[in-house]
Order: sequence, then C-alpha cells, then structure tokens
Amino acid sequence: MTAVNLKEAVVAQHSREASPILQQILQNRYTGALLSLLIVGTIVAVTQPVFLTWPNLMNIVKSNSVVFVLAVGATFVVIAGAIDLSVASATAACAMVLGLLLVAGAPAYAAIPAAVAFGAFLGAINGTLISYFKISFFVVTLGSLSMFQSFALIANDGASISVFSSPGFAPIGAFVNGNIGPVPVMLIFDLALLLIAGGVLRYTAFGRALFAIGANTEAARLNGIDVKRMMLIVFIIAGLMAGLGSVIQVGRLTSASADIDPTLLLTVLAAVLIGGTAYTGGEGGVFGTMIGVLFLGVIQNGLTLSGVSSFWQGMVSGLILILAVWLGGLRQFMRRRKQAKVG
Amino acid sequence: MSETVARESQAEARPSDRGSPSLVRVEGIFKNFPGVRALNDVSLTIRSGEVHALTGENGSGKSTLSRIIAGMMKPDEGRIFVDGKECTFDSPSAALGMGIVMISQELTLAPTLTVAENIFLGRLPRTRLGIVDWSRLEADAASALERLDIHVSPHARVGDLSVELRQEVEIARALSANARLLILDEATSSLSEAATARLLERVRQERDAGMAILMITHRMPEIYEVASVATVLRDGNLVATVPLPSTTESQLVRLMVGREISDFYGKRSIQAGNQVIRIRDLHTPAGALRPTSLDVRRGEIVGIAGLVGSGKSEFGLALGGAIECVGEVEVEGRPVRLGDPRSSIEAGIGLVPDDRKSSALLLVRSVMENFSLAWIDRLSRAGVLDTRRERLDVQGAIKRYRVATASAGVSIATLSGGNQQKVVLGRTFMRQPSVLVLSEPTRGIDIGAKSEIYRMLQDAAEGGAAVIVISSELPELLGVCDRIAVFFEGRLEAEFGRDEATEEAIAHVAVAGARNKQRVVNRSEDRQ
Repeated sequence: MTAVNLKEAVVAQHSREASPILQQILQNRYTGALLSLLIVGTIVAVTQPVFLTWPNLMNIVKSNSVVFVLAVGATFVVIAGAIDLSVASATAACAMVLGLLLVAGAPAYAAIPAAVAFGAFLGAINGTLISYFKISFFVVTLGSLSMFQSFALIANDGASISVFSSPGFAPIGAFVNGNIGPVPVMLIFDLALLLIAGGVLRYTAFGRALFAIGANTEAARLNGIDVKRMMLIVFIIAGLMAGLGSVIQVGRLTSASADIDPTLLLTVLAAVLIGGTAYTGGEGGVFGTMIGVLFLGVIQNGLTLSGVSSFWQGMVSGLILILAVWLGGLRQFMRRRKQAKVG
Repeated sequence: MSETVARESQAEARPSDRGSPSLVRVEGIFKNFPGVRALNDVSLTIRSGEVHALTGENGSGKSTLSRIIAGMMKPDEGRIFVDGKECTFDSPSAALGMGIVMISQELTLAPTLTVAENIFLGRLPRTRLGIVDWSRLEADAASALERLDIHVSPHARVGDLSVELRQEVEIARALSANARLLILDEATSSLSEAATARLLERVRQERDAGMAILMITHRMPEIYEVASVATVLRDGNLVATVPLPSTTESQLVRLMVGREISDFYGKRSIQAGNQVIRIRDLHTPAGALRPTSLDVRRGEIVGIAGLVGSGKSEFGLALGGAIECVGEVEVEGRPVRLGDPRSSIEAGIGLVPDDRKSSALLLVRSVMENFSLAWIDRLSRAGVLDTRRERLDVQGAIKRYRVATASAGVSIATLSGGNQQKVVLGRTFMRQPSVLVLSEPTRGIDIGAKSEIYRMLQDAAEGGAAVIVISSELPELLGVCDRIAVFFEGRLEAEFGRDEATEEAIAHVAVAGARNKQRVVNRSEDRQ
C-alpha cells in the first residue's frame, strides 16, 4: 500500500466513523419524502389549527384512498422498469362497469368482483401487448389510455350513472365511507393493502424478480426469470388496483362518472416518484409511495384549509415532483462520488 | 553488445528523436470511477513526428487516459498542456480545435449519414446564408478521399460500408480536420491483417510528415513496427516510459503484467473425465454463427478465440439460451431446448455473459441480491423467500469466492470491477453447473482479480465441470486452456492442443482463416 493510498484509507475510515447514523439517514430512500412530509405538515398545522384534528386527518386518508390504491399498483409497474399511463382511464372504465351492474340490480358481492376482474382484464390486455407482442409499454399504455377512456364514455353514452338508490350500493357505501368506532374502514383497508404489497415486494420470489427486471432486464432473463410472464402479472396487478380504485371512487361519489379526473394519473405517478421509487426501475417500495400520497394529500388539504384557489394545487404538486426527483438524483450522485473516493 | 549498437543506430535513423518539441503534455492525471481508481498520477509527453505507444493490460487505464486527452472525459485532477500552454478541454470539439483527433475501437460515425457528411461532421461547409454548401462538401470530401487513396464514394451511406471502410472514413475525417495529434484507440482490433498493414503504413506516412500519433494497443508486433517510444500503464499507474526498439518485447510484457506469467495463471493439470456436452451444428438463423460442433469433457478447459464478429460471443450466448439459434446441444446425454435461458440453466449450463454492466449486474441492488439472483428459485417455497437461508448462503459465497465487500447489504456498485466479476462468476458456480460458459471473464478487471478468476475456473474444472472460456485475450487462453478453438467468420475454423497452440498461430487463423494460414506464414517469412 502506498503512502497516498494509506492516507486516503485513513481519511475514508475517519469520515465513515464520523456520523454513521446521520449518513444512513441521509442516504435512506425515504428520508427526503418523510422530511418533506414533516415540514409541510408542520407548516400547515401551525397556520391551520384545524389540520391536526382527527376528522380532518381521516378526511385526508379517505379522500386519497383512490390515489393510494392506484399508486400501489403503479409502484409495482415502476419498480419493474415500466410505466402504466392507462390507470386513470382503466379506473373510469371499471367504474362504468360497476355502475351499470349496480343499476341493473346486481348485488355488491357480484358487482365488486366483476369490476375488479374487469380491471384485471384491462391490465392483461396491456401486459399481453407489451410482453408477447413486444410493443413498448409507453406506446401500449398511451394507446390504452385513450381506448379505456373511450370505453367509459361509450358505456353509458357519456352520462354519469347515479348508483345511490341501487340496492347493491349500500355495502359499498358502508365500506368506503363507514367507520369502526373512530377509525374509518378505508384506513384499515389501506394499511392492510400496504402490508400485503410490501410483503409481496420484499419476501416473495415474485417481488425479487420485479426488482431484478427493473434493475437489469437482460441479467434477470439470463438468470432464468420469466420476464414476459412477470411483466404480464405486473400489468394485471395495476389493472386489479384500478378495479379496486373504481369501487372506492364510486363509493365516494355515489355515482359512476365517465369523465376521468384529469389530474388522477399525474397525481398517482407523482406520489410514486416522490416516494423514492426510481423511474428508471429496480428501486423503491410501497412505504415510500404511501408517504408520497400523504404528502400530496396534506398539501392539497393545507391549500384548501387556507382558502387558496384549488387552481394552485397543480402548480405546487408539479413543482414538488420535479424537486423530489432532482433531490433523489442528487442523493445518488453524492453517494456515487463518496464511493468513488473510498474505492 | 554489437546488437545494442545496431538498435541504437536504428532508433536514431527514425525521424522522431525525443528531442523534437513536445506537442501535448499531461501532468499528474487522476481519475476515479465508482469503485475503481482508473488513473493515478499519470504524466506523459507526446511529441510531433513521433509514434508513442500507450500500452498495458485491459483495465490498466489506457482508454481512460486517451479519452481525457481527446476531451471526451474530464480528469479529477491534473493538467494538460498543448504547445506548452495549459488547456482545459470540456468537450471533444475543444480538443478538436487544438488538432487532437481520436479514432476509437468503437467507431463514432453516424451510420445514417453519407461518407461526405461524416468526414465533415460538425464542420460542414456553409454558404453565406448559413445553409449547407452541398456542392463544396462533395468536392472537398472527394478530394480528401482521393488524397488518401480511399476508394469509396462520398455519397455512400456509412451504415452500408464494411468495418474496414468505415475505419478508413474515420481516418479521412481525422486527417481532413488538420489533426496534429492522432489518437488510435485499439484501432486495429477489428481489422484484417491486410487492413492493419495499410493502417500502419498510413501511420508511418503521417509520422514522417510530422504528425504526433498516440497508439493505444497491446499488440506487440504493431508497437515494434511503428513506435519509437512506449508508455506502460498498470492498474492506473504509470509503470515506465521506455524507448523502442531498444526495450525488448519480453521486457515490455513484464512491465505490463508486473510479474512472471507462469505463476500468474496457475495452470493445474486436471484429469479430463467423460464427455459432458455435445454440440452439433449449432448456428444462428442470421448467420453470425455458422454450424459449429464441439465436445467438451469433464474437467476440461476449452478456449474460444477469434476477432470481434467472428461468432465467438454468439457461440456463448447460444449455449446460454440467450439468443435464437438452431442445432443440437446435449448435456450429459439429454438434449437442451435452445433459445431459452431457463432451459439452459435447468440443463446445467451456466453462462457468464461478456458485458458485466449491461447483462449481468443489477447495479442498483445489493451484493446479496446480485448473488442470490442465480438461485432464487431454490430459496423460495411456494413463492415465499427464505431470507435467513439467503443471507447464510450469500455470506458463505462471499467467503468462498473471496469477494471484498463491506457487507452483503451494500450496493454492488461500491465494489471494484474485479469483485463484481467474482460475484457474477460465483453466483453461476453456486448452482454447480456441469457446463460453464464464460465470455470474456476477465474483461476490465485488475491483475490480482484476474489471477483469482483463473483460480476459480480451475476449481470449477477440478470439481467436474466442463469449462468453455471465450476470450479476446490470447495470453489468458494460452495460460489456462487445455485446447483452443479459433473462430473465423462465424465458423470454428481450427483447433489447437495445448502443446501446439502459439499466439501467432492462433492470431493468423483468427484474422485470415485456416485456408490462408500457409500464405500468411510465408509472407511473414518473406518479411524477415
């Protein structure tokens, strides 16, 4: 070992010992999002005392459940290195199927699985075209974005379907808007979904395969992972989540709307990216996605409470999305530099 | 003694004395990449009218240094002087403005543009209105090609040309840019012998006309043919700058490798057992690999040599199921379904692909996940991972394959290239495949790691695997293999036993095929 090397090794050793906990926190994938959530939460809490009340907090949870459910599906897709642009359209299409079934008198136990299955079917269309017809995910989901949207409009000639008086709606309403004691059913549902999705990503061969595919598709394939089948499953999951999302949406609106919320897709993707899932694939998780959803939800809530026009919300969340991804890149850059020095 | 005198007088006869003025000088260059120090305090002087050979093993930092001089990369530290004045290049065009032009191993032409457009890329002649002056472009290109005696139409689309013609176009571009320093980065690596000779002749002409040439290569004959000074790099350090030809070839090799070759490969004699893999008429539909047959026995290490594009890498990919192919492959008597990596793995074939970054590593994931990727199916029951067993397995593997890593949990990007490669090899070995196919197993890694990889693959052979090593580095094939098959134009052209294999014999087949072998040998005798 030359003198220079020795000196550097000592320096590296020293800097590593200096503040290992701080270093770890700074390099953690979730730190940025969590810190931002805390800062924004504090600002809103100080300026708007109503913010920290239980009903308001639960309102944030309930009104962001659709976004959360879709974002969980989108997290799987983004980890595997793709993007599903059709989720919002698929949600509207599923909502129309659900609405038509409910109006036709179908009971909830039949209508809900049907809507979810329809979502899975739409996802399977995407996945099949991408995996087995080898068309780019961007092109396929851009096309299906438009087709699913169109389907939603065709289904009832562009009109919304009010399901409030349908007999099958009551259980849906109870599920989406109900409480168990002070705790909304939606909160329990969201947490259960978080645990299941997190567990699948972390503790199953399927989850591991997704990270591998997102990190290096060719390496995954050469090591025996059936990339095509995995990508098909990923898009089916995204479709399933769109189906679930549609049930929650219909429950909250008491009607199935053929018009797609124009900000839904962007909010879902923004939540995933703000939550630290890399858009280049191979990195991320649903816990971060949850923070991303809460973060955007708190900002929206804060702006509403302080009476700022809702027109400003897109400006704020867009800016934050860009900032978050930039900071994520910066973190990676700093980590690489540090590693280069150590090496 | 008289020999030394003769050599010295020969050196003096060359037009390039070390006394001629320095054109480009770099001082104290440092460059780090994630996990590896590419250049460590390197200084170098290049003079006009001189061919300066820059040599060293793969991964020694040759290409990095040349890219820095050509303005394609910034050094972390260090200074560059042109004509004695300090310069900072922040782009290749800045270097080009100083007359520094690089021709690299990967050609940098735009395949969809014409020859004329490529020659004047970035400096197309314009009319007063600022639009491209097509007629002048054509005339200039035609005269440049004529002056250099290159027979190609200025209208031809570069993508339609052969590799050799493309290289000529690249040279035309360099020379018409008023180059003062021409950097040739392994420029001959994909050329036939005749084209190499033509290129060297051109280098000699330009040198005599006063141009400075920095030639990056590890082909000894080329160095001795044109260069009058050689700089040797090893693991990013400058080992020595020596005059040529007064430094002998074996001295130069010793400087490059830094130790005696014999113990470097650690070749063991392993008793070959019964036949493990039987390959018959394996070929790709597009013809990159033509029908090839080969048998390998237990404990045997077979080398595959050949140039870029000879089909040798396709052969490896085909065995690993990575590409579409046709033919028969049997492992221990059972036929393998081709074109599917999973069936190759299940049949007991373990492939280590040549490009670590693009097809082997999960760069954003941990050492552990990179390791267990190869046997993740064995670590899960009903789809659920046994993470405890995974951790134990991986910790064992890290120890067994001597991977230098802070822990199993750190990102694989923190490891040096050599340790990354040990992970890739180790995970393939963990399945205990009966056939190992290793493509360029030591590309871009340092000498110490190379030696360990040779040990690893001999361990595998000793453990009963049939090992196929595909490599562009002849010394390594000669060092570890029991026999060497040489590919030429998609075919297995010739096979050499360990005793009959020499670097020269293999190189001749690789560049000219077995049919031309006789002729080539005769010509080299004429030259002497």
